[in-house]
Amino acid sequence: MGAAFRIAAKDLKLRVRDRSAFILGILAPLVLAFIFDAIFGSAATGTGLGLDYGLVDDDQSQVSAAFASVLEGAESEDILTVEVYDERAAADSAIGDDDIDAYFFIPSGLEQAVFANRSSTIEIVGDIDSPTSTQIAASFAEQFSSGVASAQLAVATTAGVTGSPVTPDFVDSLSQDPAIAGRSFDLTDRSAETKQLDASTYFAAGMAAFFLFFTVQFGVNGLLEEERDGTLARLMAAPIPRISLVAGKAILSFVLGLVSMTVLVVATSLLMDASWGAPLGVALLVVAGVLAAVGIMGLVAAITKTPEGAGNLGSIIAVILGMLGGTFFPIGATGGVLSALTYITPHAWFLRGLADLSSDAPWTAALPAAGAIMMFAVVTGLLAWLLLRRRLTR
Amino acid sequence: MRALHIGIINVKRMLRERSNIFFVFIFPLAIVLLVGIQFGGSFAPVIGISVGGEGELTSAIVGALEEDDSIELRRFESSDEVVTAVERGGVQAGVLLPADMDTTVASGNSVEIGYVSRPDGAGAQLQSLVASAIAEVMRPVGAAQFAVVETGEDFDETLQVAEGIAEGTEPIVVEVSAVGEALFPATLGRFDLGASSQLVLFVFLTALAGSSALILTRQLGISQRMLSTPTSMRAIIVGESLGRFGTALVQGVYIMVLTLIMFQVNWGDPVGATLILVALSAVGAGAGMLMGSVFSNDQQAAGIGVMLALGLAALGGAMFPAELFSPTMQRVAHVTPHAWALDGFAELVRRDGNTLDILPELGVLAVYAIGLLGLASWRLRVAITRP
Repeated sequence: MGAAFRIAAKDLKLRVRDRSAFILGILAPLVLAFIFDAIFGSAATGTGLGLDYGLVDDDQSQVSAAFASVLEGAESEDILTVEVYDERAAADSAIGDDDIDAYFFIPSGLEQAVFANRSSTIEIVGDIDSPTSTQIAASFAEQFSSGVASAQLAVATTAGVTGSPVTPDFVDSLSQDPAIAGRSFDLTDRSAETKQLDASTYFAAGMAAFFLFFTVQFGVNGLLEEERDGTLARLMAAPIPRISLVAGKAILSFVLGLVSMTVLVVATSLLMDASWGAPLGVALLVVAGVLAAVGIMGLVAAITKTPEGAGNLGSIIAVILGMLGGTFFPIGATGGVLSALTYITPHAWFLRGLADLSSDAPWTAALPAAGAIMMFAVVTGLLAWLLLRRRLTR
Repeated sequence: MRALHIGIINVKRMLRERSNIFFVFIFPLAIVLLVGIQFGGSFAPVIGISVGGEGELTSAIVGALEEDDSIELRRFESSDEVVTAVERGGVQAGVLLPADMDTTVASGNSVEIGYVSRPDGAGAQLQSLVASAIAEVMRPVGAAQFAVVETGEDFDETLQVAEGIAEGTEPIVVEVSAVGEALFPATLGRFDLGASSQLVLFVFLTALAGSSALILTRQLGISQRMLSTPTSMRAIIVGESLGRFGTALVQGVYIMVLTLIMFQVNWGDPVGATLILVALSAVGAGAGMLMGSVFSNDQQAAGIGVMLALGLAALGGAMFPAELFSPTMQRVAHVTPHAWALDGFAELVRRDGNTLDILPELGVLAVYAIGLLGLASWRLRVAITRP
């Protein structure tokens, strides 16, 4: 075993000087997690999306004022910004100047139409280059329209029961604000109570897992490099058990993977507020994940002939498993075959284990996922070990 | 002539590399499909629902959600099962209906309906969809509760009045149009948005991956040996550039033609689209050449290449529409050639633009290409002639 560690230590020194392992193991995942978090993070929270709207109110009524206050409410929550224009031409040119993405136009007579139960319209005029922002604007207006319809029906029902006509005087005589009629239910978002990763942690964990499979390749593929360069034959002539050669490369892979994961966990916790969960549970998942990566990439090295071949096949497998495992975007949500296929990857179990650890769960919550990942490690590791041993002793 | 041969050899090398069959031809297709499924229309998102007990309102809400064609509703036995399904990703969102909804509203209280979703983009969108479907069902209930407070009449009778009136109400219609046009253009096809983003991403990724071929050529001393033949330095540099360019172009043409045939993706004016692709390939070639001449270790170049290709694509709006970026991030986005190429494609498709309309975008891409190729040629000359 001493020989195995000496080989691993020698290779580690080489890898540190080479810097490739640093780039793939630490720099690339960290930079990408940062960028993804900066870009997709705002979509997850719904704030800071850069939604800039205008409002042209030709109606100047209570109903249109209510709509304006809905928009102002959203503005105060940082969801959007709203600018009021006196006339459509000004709003049109604001779109032309890229000051706003879309504007709401409330035609005069809206309130009267609402009271008289005639059809009425809120117009959304959008920038053709901002289709998504325009769609979001439309859904704001539709929500408002739904609220108005509730108020309308509440007034009409009251009038119907008492037998009086709907007039502004009648509306003024009501003891409650008709707007409350839409509040017969609350749709409460309880997603925070579920065990799911927040965006920052998800991107950090996804990128770490994705690049882990590239990082460990530096170790196991070393065996093939030694074979190509002819140093393997010399090592085999040395008084070292042949199995130590395999063990040495596996140890190197494990150390590289573990160091990269540890650095990433610590760095993303400090730099981007990723919350990985109970340290012991995370450690279990990381160790299991690194072992699985070593096993799978060891198997790749065992069935390929050249280091180039192993590198190529390894990258293909790392990319397929990474995509399928949902390290770039959650795959399960697509439903169907894909959401079942995702669990044939250790990546998906790794992310699931972290999700199980979220909301302050104890470290034991990670055990089922860690166990599943260990299955990958044991099966592929054993196969790789047997194949490589046979290759070396033949 | 010699330069052209060097270029052709480079493209052949790329095509003969067996792993490239996957990375250049299979993988981009899989991603276009996957993104199309994820964010597309016809694969309806699945919403899970659990009911606390049977009742009129419960079945009305379940019925309303079932009728909505834009979602697929799946029933679960308990709220815990819905939450687990959301956590595991089997469903995208869950609706948790409480028990005794009918008695709750009859006593004048509001019912608390739980909603859980996955933290990815679609959650908020689905929530407003669910909310409006439920609001529709609950509208007469709210009206009746209101009228009961006002008039003191019996809830059930008032509810009947409300339901009678509800059928004849005219809601405010929301109309969407684009500036100066009657209607907002129909939403892009399911694959349209994904296709141009993926094209930009993969052309750049493949071009940067090409840098390792150049590094190998240098490592093996092929470039130096070529210099000893009657091949000018100029021919080598132009040839290597053509090789990178050809590689990127093959990738781009493949994605463009395939998405056109398989998914009928609308690429707009063909001349304009081809010009953007050519310009983008030239930018990619320049970047790939620069990396190929600066790095001397192909493993390092591969790592940096993947990082740059994915990072720039994300920043440039090829993974998430740049229109939703904050103003600062939008300025950052336009530092990348990706954003300019995407703007160009959008101009062609959304505004039915032609070559003249995309001249600014083409100009910026040309500046990038010339700058990067010039810088790369200089570095490659240095790298080859360095003792």
